[in-house]
Amino acid sequence: MRQFFDSAIIALGALWANKLRSILTLIGMIIGVSTIIAIVSLINGMNQYVAAEIQTLGATTFTVDREGIITSEEEWWESRKRKKLTVEDYQAIDEVCVGCERVAARSITRRSAKYGNKYIDDVYIMGSTPEFPLIVDFEIENGHYPTAADYQHRRRVAFVGYDVIDNLFPGILHIGKEIRIAGQKYTVIGNGVRRGSTLGQSKDNYIIIPLSTFEKQFGDRRSVDLFVKAHTYETMDETQDEVRMVMRARHKLKYDDEDDFSITTAADIQNLWDNFSSGAFLVMIGISSISLIVGGIVIMNIMLVSVTERTREVGIRKAIGARRMNIMWQFLAESLTLSIVGGAIGIITGFLIGMALSHMSGIPLGVEVWSIIAGILVAGGVGTVFGVYPAMKAARLDPIEALRYE
Amino acid sequence: MLIQTRELWKTYTMGTEKVHALRGVTIDITKGEYVAIMGPSGSGKSTLMNMIGCLDTPSSGSYTLNDRSVANMNDDELAMIRNREIGFVFQTFNLLPRATALHNVELPLIYNGTPSETRLDMAKRALEMVDLGDRMGHRPNQLSGGQRQRVAVARALVNNPSLILADEPTGNLDSKTGVEIMGLFDRLHKAGNTIILVTHEHDVAKYADRILHIHDGQVSRDEDVRNAA
Ligand SMILES: Nc1ncnc2c1ncn2[C@@H]1O[C@H](COP(=O)(O)OP(=O)(O)O)[C@@H](O)[C@H]1O
Ligand SMILES: [Mg+2]
Repeated sequence: MRQFFDSAIIALGALWANKLRSILTLIGMIIGVSTIIAIVSLINGMNQYVAAEIQTLGATTFTVDREGIITSEEEWWESRKRKKLTVEDYQAIDEVCVGCERVAARSITRRSAKYGNKYIDDVYIMGSTPEFPLIVDFEIENGHYPTAADYQHRRRVAFVGYDVIDNLFPGILHIGKEIRIAGQKYTVIGNGVRRGSTLGQSKDNYIIIPLSTFEKQFGDRRSVDLFVKAHTYETMDETQDEVRMVMRARHKLKYDDEDDFSITTAADIQNLWDNFSSGAFLVMIGISSISLIVGGIVIMNIMLVSVTERTREVGIRKAIGARRMNIMWQFLAESLTLSIVGGAIGIITGFLIGMALSHMSGIPLGVEVWSIIAGILVAGGVGTVFGVYPAMKAARLDPIEALRYE
Repeated sequence: MLIQTRELWKTYTMGTEKVHALRGVTIDITKGEYVAIMGPSGSGKSTLMNMIGCLDTPSSGSYTLNDRSVANMNDDELAMIRNREIGFVFQTFNLLPRATALHNVELPLIYNGTPSETRLDMAKRALEMVDLGDRMGHRPNQLSGGQRQRVAVARALVNNPSLILADEPTGNLDSKTGVEIMGLFDRLHKAGNTIILVTHEHDVAKYADRILHIHDGQVSRDEDVRNAA
């Protein structure tokens, strides 16, 4: 142990004495480990985000919309040709669907809102049917959602998110006040609890109004999104089939035509993300293993030089009774120290890179303790594996020849 | 008998040529003796010394140290013998340049697993014995040649070995310092240590009680000089 610390301290001293050379020596290590840390942290951050999104949607809920999850430009152009979904589609499903516990439609646009001389730009205005806030949970803090009567009579009432309160009503009571959305007056009837933000985007930046009112003010050109909640998780598939049949009938599709609308469940989002993240993991493993192997080879070379430079020292140690294992450990401790220092720098660099990327992309940073441990272990492992050969070479030196070495 | 060699041969092969560094050396050395090995350069003194010191094994012949046969031991067994039974003093000191005097002296104890407090005590005592109690924290390059050699002697002593081997210990020192070091060996001998010394200088050899003259890898004369000086 003492010997290990001695060697580690000698190694650290040598590293410090040649800072530039050390950084170059360790660069492979640093890249390898920092890749692991940065990517694991970002993927983990995304995992948290996706998990949160899926939780909002819920395991028994699915959406029907025109586009679905778009992963290419072609898909986007294709989706543009499809029939838009309408309030009538919503009504048809709501009427006949046995497996549906709740059905809702929502149309969305971004507009500014105003109260007195106070402004908020680019709020998501969601025109929705009465059940929408119940399916996609917008927990009430004050007041209530737009009611069926509000929907029927196209009342101009608004259920607002916290960004609206923060911007338009700082320190002022807001229930009952009149705001203007794109010029039209709306009465505030309630607000949701604060939901925070993910991926750098606020989840409080919304105003929910009746869909009927929405279409009166903004027109009915938009395709609406449908939200369906099945009774139980077990009946999800049946319920999706039911909805699919209704939509296919309404779009007059023949039995071998493909759906011209898209049904998306939480599981679909999860799968899509899982595919992407396992791809990213593979890339990470590729980059980091190449860098680590390069880093290991560089360390091996440095250690071979160190063994040669210290041949005489090895001779002295052997002459006074060091066994092969003692010499072996001494040099292994050195390469281990080198690689762990590289690993530690890599961990710090990885976090800095992760933080920078997270800042730019809005992806939260999910620091994983296991990735730090993995980083250290991988670095130490590389140091050990690539340190074995030089250390063995030193351990096997003949004491007389080593003592004679100049 | 401390040392018993029988017909020791050491043959080096250089390409196709065979060099016989030792050609049948048979000697007996008892505990407490002070022996000088003398001979011209290339006569095989160092080779014999390395053999006795278990740094090397003979090509043929037998060697028993403290009644243990050494000739067929492996690397690690030899290392253990060197650590416990033998203290080396070299012509070029052979100290670790980056380590303090104290750490240099402590080193043999590290390799036999002596606990650290005992180790420090023993190392300090050995340094005091060579009058370097006030230089323990110095590195070799902060010490004079004579002081370095005394650190080396302390290192050789620290383990209470059966045998102290010195290969031309005064070869790199001026004559005054050389006399100092020889005085130190005298003291160690009087304290009961067995000492074997390699030299080609008669002035140095005369400190010993017995001189083994080596020529061409063979003992040419075994001279008792106890009462000569
Ligand atoms: N490793 C070796 N390889 C080949 N020849 C050697 C080796 N070591 C010593 N010799 C030869 O053995 C002979 C004795 O050498 P050595 O014991 O060093 O002599 P001394 O110490 O008496 O000057 C010399 O001829 C030397 O050249
Ligand atoms: Mg010699």
